[in-house]
Parts: sequence; C-alpha cells; structure tokens
Amino acid sequence: MLHTPTWAIFPFLTYLLLIAVLPLFLGSFWEHNRNKLLVAAIVSTPVLVYIFQLGAGEGGRLLLRTASDYAAFIALLGALFTISGGICLTGSLVGSPLVNTGFLAAGALLASVIGTTGASVLLIRPLVRANEKRGYATHLVVFFIFIVSNGAGLLTPLGDPPLFLGFLRGVPFTWTLRLLPVWALVNGVLVTLFAIIDRMIWNRERVRRPAVVVDAQVREPLRLQGAINLLWLVAIVTVVFLMGSYGTRLFGDGVLRSVVQVAGMVGCAALSLWTTPREVHQTNRFNWAPIVEVAAVFAGVFVTMIPALSFLGERGATLGITKPWQFFWASGALSSVLDNAPTYLTFASLAVGVANGPHGTLSVDDLGALTVHPTGQILLTAVSCGAVLMGAITYIGNGPNFMVKAIAEQHHVRMPSFFGYTLWSLAILVPIFGLVSHLFF
Amino acid sequence: MIKNILVCLEGSPSTTAAVRLAIDVAKPLAAHLVGLAIVDEPDIRAGTPTSIGGSAFKHERDDALVADAHKHASDAMALFERRCREANVPAKALEIVGRPVDAILEEMETRDLTVLGRDVNFKFEIEKEDAQTRDTILHRASTPVLVVPEAAPPKLGGTVLVAYDGSGAAKRALSSFASSGLATGRDIHVVTIDDNGAVAWEMANRAVETLKAADIPAKGHNIVSLLSNQDVIIRLAKEIDAGLIVMGAFTRSRLRELFSGSVTRSLVDTTEIPLYLQH
Repeated sequence: MLHTPTWAIFPFLTYLLLIAVLPLFLGSFWEHNRNKLLVAAIVSTPVLVYIFQLGAGEGGRLLLRTASDYAAFIALLGALFTISGGICLTGSLVGSPLVNTGFLAAGALLASVIGTTGASVLLIRPLVRANEKRGYATHLVVFFIFIVSNGAGLLTPLGDPPLFLGFLRGVPFTWTLRLLPVWALVNGVLVTLFAIIDRMIWNRERVRRPAVVVDAQVREPLRLQGAINLLWLVAIVTVVFLMGSYGTRLFGDGVLRSVVQVAGMVGCAALSLWTTPREVHQTNRFNWAPIVEVAAVFAGVFVTMIPALSFLGERGATLGITKPWQFFWASGALSSVLDNAPTYLTFASLAVGVANGPHGTLSVDDLGALTVHPTGQILLTAVSCGAVLMGAITYIGNGPNFMVKAIAEQHHVRMPSFFGYTLWSLAILVPIFGLVSHLFF
Repeated sequence: MIKNILVCLEGSPSTTAAVRLAIDVAKPLAAHLVGLAIVDEPDIRAGTPTSIGGSAFKHERDDALVADAHKHASDAMALFERRCREANVPAKALEIVGRPVDAILEEMETRDLTVLGRDVNFKFEIEKEDAQTRDTILHRASTPVLVVPEAAPPKLGGTVLVAYDGSGAAKRALSSFASSGLATGRDIHVVTIDDNGAVAWEMANRAVETLKAADIPAKGHNIVSLLSNQDVIIRLAKEIDAGLIVMGAFTRSRLRELFSGSVTRSLVDTTEIPLYLQH
C-alpha cells in the first residue's frame, strides 16, 4: 500500500544538496553551527508538518524512533571521537616505504574497531610527521584517505557511520563480517599499489635529494600516550555488541534500550575525558567543534529522511534499480558526492522495496530482515560496499576525508584540489571497484 | 625619471633576484623602494566543499595557513629592509591582507615602476604555482613592470634591446622607458620584425626617432625571419648581450592570444633577461 506522497522526499534531497553546496558558495555562513541548525530546521519543517498530520500514534512512533536512532548515532560518533582524541602517537618514525605501508595496513585493521574517523585522527599526524623531510607526500595522504578513512571501515558497524546506521536499524553486529572478502581485496590492492608507488618515489628522491632521505632516517622512539583509552574503546565495542545481540531481549525494542545504549556510550566517553591527561588532548588539538557540527547537520538528515525512506521502501521496485551491481554503483556514486551515511539508508530502503516486491512484508524500520532475505542480503551487501568504499571518491564523500586533507595541509603537505583529488580516485579506485563489482555483484 | 619603485615580495628565488635588481635600479636614480608583502587571506579562507564535520577542521587549517602566511610576509619584509639598508637605498616594507592582484594593482597606481619576480607566487600557501597573478598584473597594469627571472644578473646590463611593433603598448613602453632614466649610459638597440623588410625598417626608424627626441641615441634592426618573433628577439638579445628587453606587453587581444599564442608570455616564461613591460 502506498502511503507516502512523492513531495515528501524533496526536503531530504534538498537538504543533501544544500549540505554539499553551501560550504562552497556560502562558506562563512555555513561555518557557524547555529546556521546549520537553522537550515536543518527550515528544511525539516514540511516533514514535521507531514508527520504531525499522521496523528499521535503513527507520527509519534516515527519521531520517537528517529530521535532514539539519532541519539545513538551521535553518541557513538561522539564517544569514538572523544576516545580516539585521547590517544596520541608521539615520536617520529622513518618515513620509509616499509613504515608508510605498515602505517596504512595498521590503519586498515584499526579503522574497523575505532572507526574511520578515529583511526584517521590517531594516525594522520604521526604519518605526516614521519614524512615531513620528504619532498613529496601527496600520494601518501591520498592513499591514507582511500584506505584508513574509507575502505578500512567495512568490517564492523563501528567502522563507518553508514554501517552503524544499518546496525541501529536492525542489521546484526556480526553481519558486516561477511564483507571480509571485499574488504581484503580492496585494501589489499590499495596497500600493495601504495607500496609500489611509494617505493618508486622514495628511490627517485634518494637519487635527487640524498641528503633529505638520509635526514629522514633520524628518528625518535614511538610512544603511545593516553593508552587507557584503549580500555574505553573495548568498552564501546562491548556496549555496541551486547546491545546489538541482547539489547532487545533485556530492555525491549523501545526507548529503554536506546537510553541504555546511549548511556553506555556516553559513560565510556566520560571515562575517557576523566582519565586522559590534558597534554594528550592539547597535542591532538581536541575540541568539540567537529562533533557539534555533525550533530547539527545530522539532526536535519534524520528528520528529513523519515518520509524519504518510507517512500523508497514502498516504491523501490518501480524505480528501475533492481540488480546488486546497480545498487553498488548507484549507492556508491551518490555516496561520493553526498555524505555516505544518509545515502546508505536511502539505498537500503530502496533494497527493502525491491526485496518486498508488490506484496512483501519487509519494513525500512528493520533492515535486519534484509540480511536473511535471499535477494535482500545481496542487495544490502552491495549497498554497504558502495556506500563505504565510494565515500573515498571525493573530499566530501565521508566525514574524515576533508579532516585528513585539512590536517595534512596544516603540516604543509600540498594536497590536490577537489577535482584534482577526484582524478586521483577515478584513476585508482574506480578500476578496483570495477573488479569488486565484477567479482561480487 | 623613476623615483618610486614597488617591489613585490613573497620569498621565491625570483623575488630574491627582483629585490637585488630593484636595489641596483634605485641606487643611481636615487629612487625610493617600497616592498609589498601580501597575505592572501581571502583565497585561503575561500569556500570549498567540505564533508560533514569538516568545517571545524577547515577553520583550524585556515587559521594555521593565515598565521604561516603572516610569518612568511614578515620574514620577507625583514629581509628586504635589511638588504636595502645594507645598500643604502631608502626603503619601506608594506604588508597588505587581500587578493594579490587587487593589492598590487592598487599600489602600482602611485609608483613609477613595479618590480616583479618571474615566478612570483603570492598564493604559496594554497598553490604550487601562480602564473595567473603575474599575467593578470601584466594585462591590467597602467604603469611599467620589470619582470625579473631567477637567473637574472644582479646588475642591469649596459645594453638594452627595445622590441617594437608599433602597437599602442609598444609606444607606451618606449615612451615610459625613454623618460625612466634607465637608458642613461646604456647602448640602446631597437628591433622590429615584419614579413616586409621595408615596413620593419620604417617602424624601427620611428622608434629610433622617438628615442632621439629624448636625447637617447639608438641603433635600429629591421628583421625579416622565418623564426617566431620571440626566437628572433632572444637570438638578437644574446648577440648584443642585452641586459634588459623593453617591449609592450600583451599587445594582442586575449582571443587572438588564445589561438596564436602570446609573444609576451613566451618571453616571460623563457628568457633569463629582465623584461621591462608595459600594457
């Protein structure tokens, strides 16, 4: 049965478009979180009116569900941001090809535990420091974004926000482990390719500027400060895993479950703040501005996507995207120019519509049902891979991309422009994604 | 006579050569030097696509780059003032926050000559190369510009080659050069290039007469050649050991430049001889 009017998806589309273009054309306006909230409020108003018209029962249920998802989402991102901001890798490594490759490989493993943002925050500064004597480090940061800030986050719901959104909507915690072959292929190829390119550049520098390469050999021992945060990290993983596995059984499927989940994550963040030495936060230049910004922008995303997701769930089968490879490329293409988290939910909802057919009973509120549906599970795999992997195609596809670029530029690494970076990713990533599409979808 | 010279400072090797030459030019003319350093804050802070959560990092990055640009500017100004002091040339340094082209064009209006390094890059915080600023200044400048390559000798040579094509820009360049005081004590050669030797000869004579009217003796060269204009100019400049080339800048329209290229840009990009240009 079709309930959702077509117009109700336009606030969502408009908002995603505004998020992409406002920083470019009204940069100083968009810089203020108050203005972001204002834009979110304006775009959300017609959706809120629509929801109120549904009545206290259905409208209230939708709003409550959205509010609890939003709270859990922001709590997780905030907790991971706080905890990873409390860990600092000091000292300086030799920026040799072996060390750089090791760094990226370690980041690929770490990102699935502490998230792509956390791994990026933790590793980018030491990596740039290790290479500051080298003449050219652009390739290093570009591959860092490809691997650590994006591709690495495919294995767990903690890895990348899209997967956590799926988890909040019922995808089991361990389901994403089935993406291991894709994760291994993409990151394996990228790390190998990086090792070859970095070796070539290193050899060239050794011929042209031998003194610089010799100078790069001077090293300080590595030290991990704020190591207590590793404990809080384990605690976060435990909270998320337990809530995913036993939360409904223990606390029901309602508000109480969300409250416990949020409280667990906020508790871990609070413990991190309490136990982390102030110097570590100072070294990491830790502040709340990024997470406040994420909270402000996602407030609008969560509200405006309510009718959009319902619409896609109801009419997905009629929109022309039905094959797994289509889901992979379409969710990926949109994830590269819009944020990948809402894009994931959009296409996961579309997958519900396709899997449902005309008489299905799957709901966009329970994406977990897709994981046991014969068609649904391959569609969800395609959407997960597309949204996570192709977030790397532009600086705006995934949260950490621009952060890594900005931090690298502060350390005087010359980074490509928006389009320059996109050329890098089209040349390197798209062939790899073609292989993924051919082998898996 | 040149009395007030603007020198663009940004710390690149060609700017170092520009400062050296500006001091050499200023000294015999008793001219005053003004070193201009620019912090291109508008471009550093310009809007750019950012991911969600990226604004805070952009803000932090912009602050760091602006602070770095201020430090870069103050270092360049201090070095400029020290060099002028050592050479006993009166000078002051000026820092402006704004877009380089606008700042330079505004400052140029009250100066007799602007000295610019060939590879000048005021956008060094965000771009590796910045030929755009230099070309826009050469296109829009109403006063003469001395473009100095990195490998230019520290002193202005004793021979000057005036490349003359009879255009308005060439006439303005010739006229301002004649009254600049730079011709004093130097051998002046005028070259004209045309497929018709008689036309070239007539053009060369006109330029020589103009200089003669300002009490500057000059020798004319009319050349008919299969080579490109810039190759002829460079070849002759080498033959006569020219230390300066004087010419009108960008005498063709931008549309014609698009299709047939620009002699000015080719010369600016390739020659190791300082160029005295006027649009």
